[in-house]
Amino acid sequence: MRRYLLHRLLLLVPTLLGAITLVFFLIHLVPGDPVEVMLGETASGADKAELRRALGLDQPLFAQYGNFLLGLLQGDLGRSLYEQASVGQLIAARLPATVELTAFAMLMAVVISFPLAIGAAMNKGKINDRAALTFSLLGLSMPNFWLGPLLMIVFAIQLGWLPVSGRGALTSIVLPALTLGLGMAAILTRILRASLLQVIDADYVRTARAKGLKEQLVWLKHTLRNALLSVITIMSLQFGSLLAGSIITETVFAWPGIGRLTVQAIQTRDYPVVQGCVLVIALSYVLVNLLTDLLYRVVDPRISYDK
Amino acid sequence: MQLILLLLFFLLALSGCRGSSAQPPPGYITIGIESFPLQLDPRFATDANSSRVGGLIYNALLRVDEKSQLQPELARRWTMPNARSYLFELHEGVKFHDGRLLTAADVKYTYESIGDAKNLSPKRSLLKALAGIDVLDSHTIRFRLSQPHAPFPEHFTIGVVPAGTAIGPSGQPPPGSGPFMLEKIDPGERVMLKANANYWENRPKALGLVFKSIPDAMVRVLEFKKGSIDFLQNDIEPEVIPWLAKQENASLQANQGTTFQYIGINCSQPILRDARVRRALAHAIDRDAIIRHLLNGTGVAASGLLSPLNWAYNDQVPGWPRDRAKAKLLLDQAGYPDPDGDGPRPRFRLSYKTTNIDLRRRIAEALKEQLAQVGIELEIRTYEWGTFFSDVKKGNFHLFSLAWVGIHDPDIYYQLFHSASFPPNGDNRGRYSNAQLDALLEDGRTTTDLFTRRKIYGQVQQILASELPYIPLWWVKNVVAHKRNLQGFVPYPDGSFVSFKQVSVTP
Repeated sequence: MRRYLLHRLLLLVPTLLGAITLVFFLIHLVPGDPVEVMLGETASGADKAELRRALGLDQPLFAQYGNFLLGLLQGDLGRSLYEQASVGQLIAARLPATVELTAFAMLMAVVISFPLAIGAAMNKGKINDRAALTFSLLGLSMPNFWLGPLLMIVFAIQLGWLPVSGRGALTSIVLPALTLGLGMAAILTRILRASLLQVIDADYVRTARAKGLKEQLVWLKHTLRNALLSVITIMSLQFGSLLAGSIITETVFAWPGIGRLTVQAIQTRDYPVVQGCVLVIALSYVLVNLLTDLLYRVVDPRISYDK
Repeated sequence: MQLILLLLFFLLALSGCRGSSAQPPPGYITIGIESFPLQLDPRFATDANSSRVGGLIYNALLRVDEKSQLQPELARRWTMPNARSYLFELHEGVKFHDGRLLTAADVKYTYESIGDAKNLSPKRSLLKALAGIDVLDSHTIRFRLSQPHAPFPEHFTIGVVPAGTAIGPSGQPPPGSGPFMLEKIDPGERVMLKANANYWENRPKALGLVFKSIPDAMVRVLEFKKGSIDFLQNDIEPEVIPWLAKQENASLQANQGTTFQYIGINCSQPILRDARVRRALAHAIDRDAIIRHLLNGTGVAASGLLSPLNWAYNDQVPGWPRDRAKAKLLLDQAGYPDPDGDGPRPRFRLSYKTTNIDLRRRIAEALKEQLAQVGIELEIRTYEWGTFFSDVKKGNFHLFSLAWVGIHDPDIYYQLFHSASFPPNGDNRGRYSNAQLDALLEDGRTTTDLFTRRKIYGQVQQILASELPYIPLWWVKNVVAHKRNLQGFVPYPDGSFVSFKQVSVTP
């Protein structure tokens, strides 16, 4: 187990290096120039060249890449080209908001999908099942940029129960988390229902019933637990993509997270901030995946990572 | 076990993550803004909202008033002893928010720290003409230029910071001397200012201001409807304006602005090299219809770059009313007859580049339809901003549409139309060249007499109206929506928030 963990942690290095290399060159290849954005329309070509030189943007791309890696080795993500702050400071200020939103969205997805999927599997072909499948279809079909404003109009404007946007009181997280979580709830409902239906006919479930175990216990202890493996896989993949992919929800709800920081940095071609954000997103993605692999062992003790 | 892990994660996420409270303190005015100010330090601020919010925290030697004219602010008096120097006498008793007295040394320090190459200020290039700064006494300061440069006084609107203010890694903006002082920054979310009770002019009437960043235009309007935002300026979708006007407790005003929307023309392209073709294009466009139907009246048909609010505006320059017959005649005269009358074949084809923003696309469709009626086929190409702008700078276009924002001094014409301003040395992206215009623009920037400059730029506007290297479309109106209990806001053509120092809130 320890060797496996070490092996996986070592694999982090090439994975992150690959992600950050790709982003470094992609963002530099995209048309657009931070100096143009910084100096505005009226600066002369000579002024632009001077600032480019001062920022080190006139150096060959590989030299800039080398400098960036050197900084990274010393734990320095660089400084924003616009804000008088280090990339680390900017990310540290925004990361909690994104983690919070992702965690709540995940919680909502679990709270919604588990009862729906279990109800559907227990009543296959009946109204509960059809309702769950309809919800799943709807949840997957509604884009966040449409669902977000719809929820705002109903719950914030018409009913007046919740704030429209922003990250203020605890109630302000409900609508963005619901917007982000509904899509995932729809996926989880489908996956969990399918897994449950697969497990429900297994021999050990029949045995459990034959030995007189209560139906509730059969479902919770034998069926659900064995169906969880595929759900955990999907959840971990979704968690990673939620961390990175909450950009639209963060923009619609004016949620000051890392998604908005990334978009803003891409728009202004703030290269160090884009690189820093991608590094953090890639790191969290890889760590969540590692955590998932470890969680498999907890859910299913038959899984072993020892050779 | 899994549940424990999950719960632990949620608890960790929740603990210590939120620092901001939802409601601003009573007596504060909440203003919805589209983008978060990137940098409030006036030596580095380049984005519009940093300048607007910074304008409330920092005082400058001069400020631009609601008629786009320069007025003294920290300066009690300012004179030009000769064409290359400016002398300022400062108000006495002005204090920074930290209690220090503001003196000429602070002004000198501010400008010298911008000019210091190691500080990497994006404003450094603006001060190129500055040869030196002399502190004559604690409240008198002289700026010396290397050569006469008429538009230089525009740069006296940069906010003054205390001498010795470091440009440190903390990112905390230095104190100013303005009507409001920085209370709190929630990164990416909002900036809170509180009234400066000791402000040297008059104490602001509002207790404080909250600038809340909400990127989505529709969400800003919903926040206004719910009452969690008191004030909105611009960045309001034209189609929601009538709905907004009907809201009770809302007051809506639309005033003449200075933002100039235009069609840029590639004058090196064989067809567009002929001024008659450019005039035909201008006559073929029905600006009033687009303003009425697509902009919901939030524009005013423009005759040129300078709006009537600018001191150098020439009111003798004719506009471009739609005249299809004249457009067709001009095209015939230019040697582009219609091959089949009202048939489908065009006289010629042109491409039109714009951004992929929905409103820009709809405007492009309207232009296509209007030009088709005089026999010109327009091929619309929409791009993401970075790609679009890169093409524009390279001259890779026939026609494109963009806007100029925040125009004060007419010296901008030099940057846009002088033949020495082809990219990368300027923004003459259409490669327009005219020796007579060049000479006038050179005179305009070295002559410091306002009357003579007005005359020069009057001629410049006449030439450009006849030659049309740009086709003027409209000046965008400044749209302001606020709650009825806000009194005293004066809209500025450039969208400045400076009049918040006199805004009051009635309960």
